[in-house]
Amino acid sequence: MNWNEHLPALLLALPLLGAFLAPLCSLGGKTVRNAMFMAISFLTLLVAFFLWRTVLAEGIQYYVMGGEGSRLSLPSGMAVPVRIILEVDALSAFMALCGAIASFAGALFSLNYMSRFTGLSRFASLYLLLTAGMLGMMITGDIFNFFVFIEVSSIASFGLIAFWRDRPAAVEASFKYALISQVGSMFILVAAGCLYGRYNMLNMAAIGSALQMGTMEKLALVFLVGSLAMKCGAFPMHMWLPDGYAEAPTGVTCLLVAVSQASLYGLARVCFSVYGIAIGSAFIPWMIIVFGLASMFFGVAMAVVQHDMKRLIGYHSVSQVGYMLLGLGVGLLVLGDPRAMAEFGMTAVTGGLFHAFNYTMYKALLFLAAGAVYYATGKRDLNDMGGLARKMPYTAVMFLIASAAISGLPPFNGFVSKLLIYESSFAVHPFLAVVALVTSVLTLASFVKVFQTAFLGPEKGVLAGVREVPPAMLAGMAVLTVVVLGLTLFPSWSLSNVAEPAARALVDQSGYIGAIMGGGM
Amino acid sequence: MGKVFTGFGYWDVGAWIIFFIVAAAYVLWLRYQGRQDYKKGTEQDEIYWSGNETPEDGEGLTVPASSAYWGFRKALEPFYDRLVGMHTGVASDILGYYVVVVAFMAAIILLV
Repeated sequence: MNWNEHLPALLLALPLLGAFLAPLCSLGGKTVRNAMFMAISFLTLLVAFFLWRTVLAEGIQYYVMGGEGSRLSLPSGMAVPVRIILEVDALSAFMALCGAIASFAGALFSLNYMSRFTGLSRFASLYLLLTAGMLGMMITGDIFNFFVFIEVSSIASFGLIAFWRDRPAAVEASFKYALISQVGSMFILVAAGCLYGRYNMLNMAAIGSALQMGTMEKLALVFLVGSLAMKCGAFPMHMWLPDGYAEAPTGVTCLLVAVSQASLYGLARVCFSVYGIAIGSAFIPWMIIVFGLASMFFGVAMAVVQHDMKRLIGYHSVSQVGYMLLGLGVGLLVLGDPRAMAEFGMTAVTGGLFHAFNYTMYKALLFLAAGAVYYATGKRDLNDMGGLARKMPYTAVMFLIASAAISGLPPFNGFVSKLLIYESSFAVHPFLAVVALVTSVLTLASFVKVFQTAFLGPEKGVLAGVREVPPAMLAGMAVLTVVVLGLTLFPSWSLSNVAEPAARALVDQSGYIGAIMGGGM
Repeated sequence: MGKVFTGFGYWDVGAWIIFFIVAAAYVLWLRYQGRQDYKKGTEQDEIYWSGNETPEDGEGLTVPASSAYWGFRKALEPFYDRLVGMHTGVASDILGYYVVVVAFMAAIILLV
């Protein structure tokens, strides 16, 4: 049996199995449940890693669900694929690896973080279900199936954000997210319906091979772009995000960061692989660029004046998503112009995708560090903190590394991806690069404030008994710190092995379509 | 491994790390030199707190996070009033922004 062939299915089967096993394992006690939770999270990470390696070595992998053979995308007599197909190119594998790392780090952190609470079988179940939904969004090649995985991840998110249901703020945040998320999902379903009505197909590669821009296609594109931009936190549709991120248990927030990237992946996949150059006018690329600029600037402007640690980091998520939207928007703008694509378009797409990876790692780390501070002090308000570096040195160092990375300080990984975005967006218009640079300066100012007020300065009397957090929480943060430092110290290797293959796969529409349709573009 | 070509130029992580090491060594050397007129136990040891009397309690010395960048926020007060004002936290407002954006995009894309 060739295990490599089944890796796409295993990537979904493992967390799904874990989600349903969690209540059973809980009958065996806390140790059995935690062992299963961590084993499934680690195995999912391993499968994501092997899948990424396989895709880099052998090219696009696909898996036909429920067919005569897992590699038979077009059974005899069929002109178009009719079954659900998982299609994993370098971009999908890259995003899945990124999501699996965040999921594993969040699970490791949650072992100690959640140990004070009850209902942990439900927690483990929902957490693994959220992981399965997120990974499903990243590797499915079917647009209706994409909607199903969005729903799986959304429903798990609602439960996890409101996990502390005795806190009114948590229930309210979950309700707001549920409301806007469900309306957004309905628009995605309507878009899938529009495309199915026009082409009798749901497979994204097959739709991409036949797509010609008309009224229904335009409306479907707007519904998909609007809804996925909202779900990844683009301004002005971002307002659910700081509430949701702040109120969820911290390990979950770490995973929600990766889930928002699954929506960004969906947006990129629809624009580049399904519509591609058929997108025609420059309106949608410019709309994505405008979303990016507005998210960057207004997100960071809101963050600068926050003093709730998790809300502040949540607003920075809005801001950081703006960089990725800017990079992808610039790439999409010049997709039909080979010369501009070669000159700066590929740099923009590479920068945007590399920033997505970097962002997931350092943002997840920032949230975990904020959670560690909350665990140790019981406080989220920066006004009530001070001098914590003496009490929590490991957390302080890891928070400092993540702060430097998000602020784009050289030589950290955030600087590399931002540099690519600055230079490529400058080629379109200098104003784009100026907004990105100003945002970076304000990000640095904001994190100087956080680090100074929380970790430096004189100790607060009420925090005299504070101690460093337990080892599992430190280990969860350490996983992400190692990845951030690895990306920092080996930027050239990271770009050529991680970001560039993903960027090439994203702009190669014919490759994505050809893998399923047999070159029938 | 550490050199990145962006298409417009390049930068090198090793050069930055060497720069920080050299800068840190220089700062530490300067600090080590000290001041020749320093006398321990005199008023030179006292904290200078903008000419005001230094609080006994260390906690009183800190600027709370909510007051940080006060001048920045004050200078941009009209901007912040509008920006913070649009973040009502009301679910129907959150949904409203989404619907308006999608409607705007739908209207424009059908025209172009």
